Amino acid sequence: MFEHSENVIERIVAHLRRPVQIDPAVDSRVMEEIAGGPTPRVSGGASAAWHWLTRPRHIALSPLGGLAIAAGLGALVLILPGRRPHEAPPAETATRAFQFVVVAPRAARVALVGDFNDWDAARTPMRPSQRGGPVWTAVVPLSPGRYRYAFLVDGSRWLADPAAPAARDDEFGTPSSVVTVGGS
Amino acid sequence: MAQSLGIHHVGASDGELVRRVRAGDTGAYTALVARYRDRLGRYAVHMLGDREDAEEALQDAFVRGYRSLARCDDPERFGAWLYGILVNRCRTAGARAARRGRLFVRDDAALTRAPLPSPAERAEWDDTVRRALARLAPEYREAFLLKHIEDLEYDEMARLTGAGISALKMRVKRAREQLQLIFREAERV
Repeated sequence: MFEHSENVIERIVAHLRRPVQIDPAVDSRVMEEIAGGPTPRVSGGASAAWHWLTRPRHIALSPLGGLAIAAGLGALVLILPGRRPHEAPPAETATRAFQFVVVAPRAARVALVGDFNDWDAARTPMRPSQRGGPVWTAVVPLSPGRYRYAFLVDGSRWLADPAAPAARDDEFGTPSSVVTVGGS
Repeated sequence: MAQSLGIHHVGASDGELVRRVRAGDTGAYTALVARYRDRLGRYAVHMLGDREDAEEALQDAFVRGYRSLARCDDPERFGAWLYGILVNRCRTAGARAARRGRLFVRDDAALTRAPLPSPAERAEWDDTVRRALARLAPEYREAFLLKHIEDLEYDEMARLTGAGISALKMRVKRAREQLQLIFREAERV
């Protein structure tokens, strides 16, 4: 019943190219799921930044060390896991503080974005270590897991972490990196 | 129909809709979902072979697309960008389905639309195509569908999949060869 070679492929292609109708209820399910979430703005508002900065948190960090400047590249990123707080919860659910550091000499503003903040540039603004200085930092509490992240410089330039594994499964078309937080 | 009731401009470009969503008009995303639902859904249905899994992957892709809209560098090419997300979601869903041991199932809705002479032949053809697709390695099936069904250029496929162009050409070639072989075997049975 089936023809050989190219005719078969042509027939399969024609068969698979027919329009497929998806249940329109998908639309409402999508909109229900995104309702109430943050608006995906590229740059964030001051109130969100203030909320992030003033939110109560429990952090213990190890000191930064050996930070090199990536001249010309614009950025160098280090992630330093913090020591666990004295009253840390059990290991499997423990949240640890991670400090993200980026060297961005000419940046006016830098945001840390990743799976942990829904890639919302408004939620984790980075702060310069000194006024006008090139080093920007942010501290984020992370539970055990695998997170993709990147840095958004001046609202438009995406930077991956040259010192961390690249996110090979990234699906958004912009560079990103991966940090894996262990459970102990 | 909801998108034509005046809330959204019928002819709004992808870029315009993306900018409105970013400005806080969440409802504008409805128009983008309606615009791409069936087209992206076709890829998901053929890739996963199961309508329920396909709709779940599609829904997940739309939600992730919304939450990551700030990373869509070229709003006018929102559809192509969303394709990349869906390809990834299908990979994840396919791996999950493989672990469950789910087989490809017959799509009765598609069967009724098949332009073949008799219901029996339609059923046989549809089953054979689906089983043949299911027998391809996921990366071969992905490349075949993106090239021949979704009509993408190799450089676009490379961007979406992360694979090199030569690797993709090889996958498409292997997929075609394997499909031809599978159909020759089916003819002998």
